Amino acid sequence: MTSHSILQIESLDIALRSGDAILTGVDLAIAPGKVLGVIGESGAGKSMIGAAIADTLPPGLAISRGSIRFDGLTLTDMTARTRRDLLGRDIGFIPQEPMTALNPTLTVGQQIGRHLARIGIANRATRDKRAIELFSEVGLDRPAQLLKSYPHQLSGGMLQRVLIAMAFASNPRLVIADEPTTALDVTIQAKVVELIARMRQAHDTSVLFITHDLQLAADVCDDVAVLYAGRIVETGRAEEIIDAPRHPYSRCLSLAAPNLDGPVAPLMILPKAMPGAVERAAMRGCAFAPRCPAADEACTRTPPPRRAVSPGHVSACHYPERTSAIAPPARRNAGDLAAPGEAAVLRAQGLGKAYRQHDWLGRVREVEALRGLDFTVREREFVGIVGESGSGKSTLTKLIVGLENVTSGTLHVVGLDRTSTPRERFFDQVQLVFQDPQSALNPRRRIGSLVTQSLECRGNGLAAKARRELAAELLAKVMLPPDAADRFPDQLSGGQKQRVNIARALCSNPRLLIADEIVSGLDVSVQAQILELLRGLREQASFSLLLISHDLAVVRHVCDRVLVMCKGEIVEQGPVEQVFGAPRHPYTMQLVAAARGRPRSDDRHAREASDLS
Amino acid sequence: MIKALLRIVARRLFAIVPVFAVVTVLVFAALRILPVDPAQMSLPPSATIEQVEAKREEMGLNKPIWQQYALWARRAVAGDLGESAQYRMPTAKVVLERLPATIELAMCALVFAVVVGVAGGILLFTVRGTALESLGMALTSVVMALPDFLLALLFILVFGVMLPLFPVNGRLDPGLEVPSHTGFLLLDSLLTGDVSIVASAISHIALPVMALGLAFSPTIVRVLHSSLINTYQQSYIRQARLRGLSDREILFGQALKNAILPVVILVGTQFGGLFGGTLLVEMIFSFPGLGNLMVKAMQTADLSVIMAIALIYCAVTLLFNSLADAAAYLLNPKLRTA
Amino acid sequence: MRIWSWLSDPGLVIGGAIAGLVLACAVCAPWLAPYHPNDQDLLYILAPPVWAPDGAAEHLLGTDSLGRDTLSRLIFGARTAMEVAVAASFGAMALGAVLAHLAGYFGGRVDWLISRLVEIWLSFPPVVLSMLLIIGLGVGTDKVILAIVLVDWTRFCRVLRSEVQVVRGQDYVSFARLVGFAHMRVIVREIFPATLPMLITLFSLQMGISVVVEAILSFVAMGVPADVPAWGQMIADARINMFDAPWGLALPILAIFVTVLSFNLFGDGLRRVLDPRHRANGHV
Repeated sequence: MTSHSILQIESLDIALRSGDAILTGVDLAIAPGKVLGVIGESGAGKSMIGAAIADTLPPGLAISRGSIRFDGLTLTDMTARTRRDLLGRDIGFIPQEPMTALNPTLTVGQQIGRHLARIGIANRATRDKRAIELFSEVGLDRPAQLLKSYPHQLSGGMLQRVLIAMAFASNPRLVIADEPTTALDVTIQAKVVELIARMRQAHDTSVLFITHDLQLAADVCDDVAVLYAGRIVETGRAEEIIDAPRHPYSRCLSLAAPNLDGPVAPLMILPKAMPGAVERAAMRGCAFAPRCPAADEACTRTPPPRRAVSPGHVSACHYPERTSAIAPPARRNAGDLAAPGEAAVLRAQGLGKAYRQHDWLGRVREVEALRGLDFTVREREFVGIVGESGSGKSTLTKLIVGLENVTSGTLHVVGLDRTSTPRERFFDQVQLVFQDPQSALNPRRRIGSLVTQSLECRGNGLAAKARRELAAELLAKVMLPPDAADRFPDQLSGGQKQRVNIARALCSNPRLLIADEIVSGLDVSVQAQILELLRGLREQASFSLLLISHDLAVVRHVCDRVLVMCKGEIVEQGPVEQVFGAPRHPYTMQLVAAARGRPRSDDRHAREASDLS
Repeated sequence: MIKALLRIVARRLFAIVPVFAVVTVLVFAALRILPVDPAQMSLPPSATIEQVEAKREEMGLNKPIWQQYALWARRAVAGDLGESAQYRMPTAKVVLERLPATIELAMCALVFAVVVGVAGGILLFTVRGTALESLGMALTSVVMALPDFLLALLFILVFGVMLPLFPVNGRLDPGLEVPSHTGFLLLDSLLTGDVSIVASAISHIALPVMALGLAFSPTIVRVLHSSLINTYQQSYIRQARLRGLSDREILFGQALKNAILPVVILVGTQFGGLFGGTLLVEMIFSFPGLGNLMVKAMQTADLSVIMAIALIYCAVTLLFNSLADAAAYLLNPKLRTA
Repeated sequence: MRIWSWLSDPGLVIGGAIAGLVLACAVCAPWLAPYHPNDQDLLYILAPPVWAPDGAAEHLLGTDSLGRDTLSRLIFGARTAMEVAVAASFGAMALGAVLAHLAGYFGGRVDWLISRLVEIWLSFPPVVLSMLLIIGLGVGTDKVILAIVLVDWTRFCRVLRSEVQVVRGQDYVSFARLVGFAHMRVIVREIFPATLPMLITLFSLQMGISVVVEAILSFVAMGVPADVPAWGQMIADARINMFDAPWGLALPILAIFVTVLSFNLFGDGLRRVLDPRHRANGHV
């Protein structure tokens, strides 16, 4: 297989100037026309692989050992100039965030034109013609008009199509896609994945698909390599890695992600965090051992051997056979949830919100962000809201917490009319957990002061000692150690910050908690911690939760009921199992289908059969 | 494209009218606080009290201040800015005679500053991460600590006193005569076709231009340098590199158009500093422009001239600000196509 | 450990040291200066500095056309410059910062009004505005200070306003409002601490600008009274005799240059060590 690999990476090490390794002994090979997935959480070093191939490693990082061979050429022996010449011609790239990947001051046509000129189309008219062909190929409407547009005039999905068109324009041998769908809406994600698969086939290109999403990798890839702390811990056929992993980390990753089907099982929570480059240097054994449920003393002493557990399936573990026995601990009172009360904590009737926009002539235009919402959240009920960007989810949040005013219909919050009741009445009763803890926690306050901040402006100002005790109690509720109180937000990890964010909202014992996309930026294993924390809080059930998320599985894991929003309206609502299990509205069906991912397509199996013959 | 450009420029120019109106009110009020009697100033010292009183009445000085302003404004719109007490001539004529020299000086200095600043910024960026960059930054610090009037004095000290390479007085060698067509000496001297006259004009304006321009350029260097660094951190530059574009193509074809925007905004907001700087520099080089006239007017409390010149300084600054605004607007497609 | 990272910034250390030295000169002028700044020594008129061929040990940096000791006048000039710079920079900072926080935080009409005010101010070239103000106010040290405050508050207002807007957009500010913080409390407790580093930096840069403006005004005899020694005045005096005594012109220019440079270096250094974004701003 090695002889006709398009890309072959052998025992690649990438290290900081200090000598601490970012990647260690990475071996990868992609056969012609195949898709290889590289899976890892943030900090695993997965983006460094693409950067090493492109020779665009960040300053301070360098390849310290190993080789990269591409299509018969040894890249690591070539000059920077000849290597750059391959980029955009023989190696294409699809970026993570299409919205920022095109120059905002140049038209789409100028940018693709320059690219086509570089790959050898000298004549301008021919370039335009080719660009239009490419745009049609990736399913963009009105391609001629598109050439004259600026990037900000296109949606994320359209931009990603433009970028995919550019990546495949030169019929490259290899395309590197680095999290190409992460920044996009669920339904768009599915289409983009499909498009990449189609283009790959049409242009007979190999793809290196970098992602954090195990499920997505399973849908897209032929082979998969799992990366942990700079090492590849497991490689093999995609189905095998997903269905029968032979490395504990791969299995833990699967078990940490919530599902859309089957019972709502507890998620696997990994203790501690992935070791950084400096910590790794001090480890003698397996880097995963400190977090591994199957590890023993031997794991921390000697590095695990890499060996084939079955043909084409390699695992770097002392005990690959223990993998299948790993399971998350059962819940203390499994499934025994407190029943919601009868009283409504939140009731909306015909709720609407319109913004007035002035154009420069002074004309007023009304834009309806929300239209005729009817729903109720009862006491101790956990309700999810799902919808894509532009669905009005965030506007609804702002109305409930009072950051915006209602323009039509009524909204009762904790039994009080939001419009006519003074703001002060809501302060303790309604709390919001913001999406981005980085922005939501004042970096100049200590954690202890942050979690008890809401008490500061009450008449009953607590004594410093009482405040410290309360802080410790709140931190315990979100499973943070008490000494965290003396730290600053920047000294905590992303997941810890999000827990502080939640603890702070619980400080005043609110009756209604609103959580806006609180797990969207987090790694799977960190997300699992937060979701299990919410499950735990639900069992105690002292408040109602409105959980806003684009991820159906997240909502299913935590909530009783769900509202599906689309373009400012609620298109469907009901118990989670019913709505996701048997959606009735076409939009819900589309969402559920997209979230389930591509069914293992028959064409791939057919292709494999032909490869064998 | 041309139509859009004209529309935006027109809109900006229209927007400065109310601002300028407020400016005239402020200047008018500031000058009326003075314990100087403009009527007395405009008459010979031998004038009797009755004559002064009659003049006060004629000039409207006994009316409430807002009526005085209204009177002034009405006359100003008609082109009558009063009479210069010092020259006994219409103020408008006195001031307009000197305006081209100042405009010429300011524009040459601006071009000098932008050329040096942009070239320096790009150069400093291309050597980023090396010792040369630190050296360049230190150099900008040094020049930034030398405001235009100090640079002017230093140039006189160095090129006038120590090694006399350039003339340090006036606009032309004594004895040379250039017929005025446009009022802009550089243009007029080119029109004579006489090389020695052109050389004389250029050598006279060289030091003032360098003093003004050099004082402004390090700010441009720094803004462009940090703006380029910012731009290079953007994803689209990384993508351009991943498409195999060369360093040169990325810098000039992709990054510069984005990175230049803060420079345009800077030139717009800081132009007033350069333009005001002409006042001192003209005075130091005895350059016969508005600044020299202003200093003389202040010494003799020639109020109508002070007022007129102050307003011209403001008008030109405003005009330039709005042109820079319009340019920034045109450079940013997000605003343009909104 | 924070102090160490500060000390490792050469601009901050050098700038701070020189600025401190100038301030010390200003405070201790009567004890440092060998002569009274206005004493005339008619034996030495336009004497060159001691290292020049005709220099005299009595006057280390020479004398001016009235036989006044240049060194003493430079030291007392520092006192005038620092007095004006500290007071004026503080005043401009206070005025500009208050308006910037109001505009940036409340937005809407408040912002509109303050922004228009800044726009009107910006249409005056700063030199012209300060001279107009002096014409209206009359000369004097206090008038110079007031003129600088009234000219340069916009510098603080413009920069800080956008800084406040950035912080205003952070979720922690929304949170403070949601749990019932009053507007003033949000500004003081949540926003001001975030804008403080920028404020300090701008203050240091303004010190240099104030020194320059004071020098300009004294140079055109619109600054401090004639009997108060000032660098700008020394330049104006020396300009007349610059062909005979170039040192008299060069030394006050050098004094202004060194002072402004030190405050600029100090300000830039502060910006580097206080601003976390700047620290993270690595090279590509």
